Amino acid sequence: MEGEIRNKAKNGSLYWVETTIIPFINDEGAVYQYMAIKTDITLVKRIEAERDRIEAERDERSAELEAVNKELESFSYSVSHDLRAPLRAIDGYALILEEDYENVIDAEGKRLLDTIRHNAHYMGNLIDDLLSFSQLGRKDLAKTLVNMTTLANATVVEIGRNKEHNATITINPLHNVMADKALIECVLVNLLSNAIKYSSKKEKPSIEVSSTVENNEVIFCVKDNGAGFEMEYADKLFGVFQRLHSVEEFEGTGVGLATAHRIINKHGGRIWAEGEVEKGASFYFSLQTENKKQ
Amino acid sequence: MEHDSVVDILLIEDSHSDAEMTLRALTKQNIATNLVHLKDGALALDFIFATGIYAERKIENQPKVILLDLKMPKVNGLQVLEKLKGDKRTCEIPVVILTSSKEHPDVKRCYELGVNSYIVKPVEVSNFIKAISELGIYWLALNHAPQ
Repeated sequence: MEGEIRNKAKNGSLYWVETTIIPFINDEGAVYQYMAIKTDITLVKRIEAERDRIEAERDERSAELEAVNKELESFSYSVSHDLRAPLRAIDGYALILEEDYENVIDAEGKRLLDTIRHNAHYMGNLIDDLLSFSQLGRKDLAKTLVNMTTLANATVVEIGRNKEHNATITINPLHNVMADKALIECVLVNLLSNAIKYSSKKEKPSIEVSSTVENNEVIFCVKDNGAGFEMEYADKLFGVFQRLHSVEEFEGTGVGLATAHRIINKHGGRIWAEGEVEKGASFYFSLQTENKKQ
Repeated sequence: MEHDSVVDILLIEDSHSDAEMTLRALTKQNIATNLVHLKDGALALDFIFATGIYAERKIENQPKVILLDLKMPKVNGLQVLEKLKGDKRTCEIPVVILTSSKEHPDVKRCYELGVNSYIVKPVEVSNFIKAISELGIYWLALNHAPQ
């Protein structure tokens, strides 16, 4: 026989005991003696109550979180819809002026129209980048074994297809990792596009991708010989809208590295950079090992 | 309004400027001659089903393609789509969704309802005009619709 009993101690305080009663039976089958084992389980009870409270709180929180996520989703939708529509109108009417009033508008007027349109396009990109950045937080990781050598090569081909460049890109054999392929591809696109962009003003732009294994993690490196940066600003590289160069110098919205940072964080890895002005930059990110080198 | 005239394109769009850009693109391709532009979903349903102020219209005279914006006041694009894909008399009319947002939670729903195409209007108007011209030519000239 077993049970839990709430008792009152002599000093009036309540305590819980778990009691097991064992009957001793004689040859005739009658009980002639009992043994009771009592264990004070007050602490266990207290811990259980605390656990129930925490669980209830957690359920409440996750319900709240879900509501916030839903709200955020409809907010993103509104932002993308409602901000893009007027931008398209600005760009559109500027285009109509350019096309239909070509003979009336002088060179300076055309330059001004061009600036209006350029800024409208830029803001369109900002909205798109910011939205994909905010979406990252909501997506779950779909980890598979990723052949990084193949992925990096494919990314280089894809970037070349979208934008002409004259950089020499070397992809060394890379370690495979368990990761969300689409997201890691996004990291590679960002790092490689940056390397191409910031080395584009060099006579012989050169980019190298490599990987090493250190203490159970694979460290990937994308190294270029481009404009580099001052190390004292290194921590600013990964903030949203943080840029170390003006848009006139190098185009960009300042969301790419923040996105890469968020993706690597989600994978439990680290991302960092080393650089020197006019001597190039190296961007590193680490992921858990998946041993074999391809 | 001529109720029985031929309609090639029915544009259902509440944004004045988007409608203007769409018209411009189609005019440039010389395919905007028989175009009707309606500014909300309620009016569009009246037009398609020949009810309300369009009661005199013949329902058989349907457009070759409907360009439908999703976010509109009163009756939205999704509701219009649901009504016309759910009705035997109108379910064969090709419908192209034109929306400002990639984020729309209803992309999947549109396809389930039987939309024929789903296009996100680009911010860059030259791309927008290109997209509209191409889809205009596709649905009016290339596509062979059921008679």
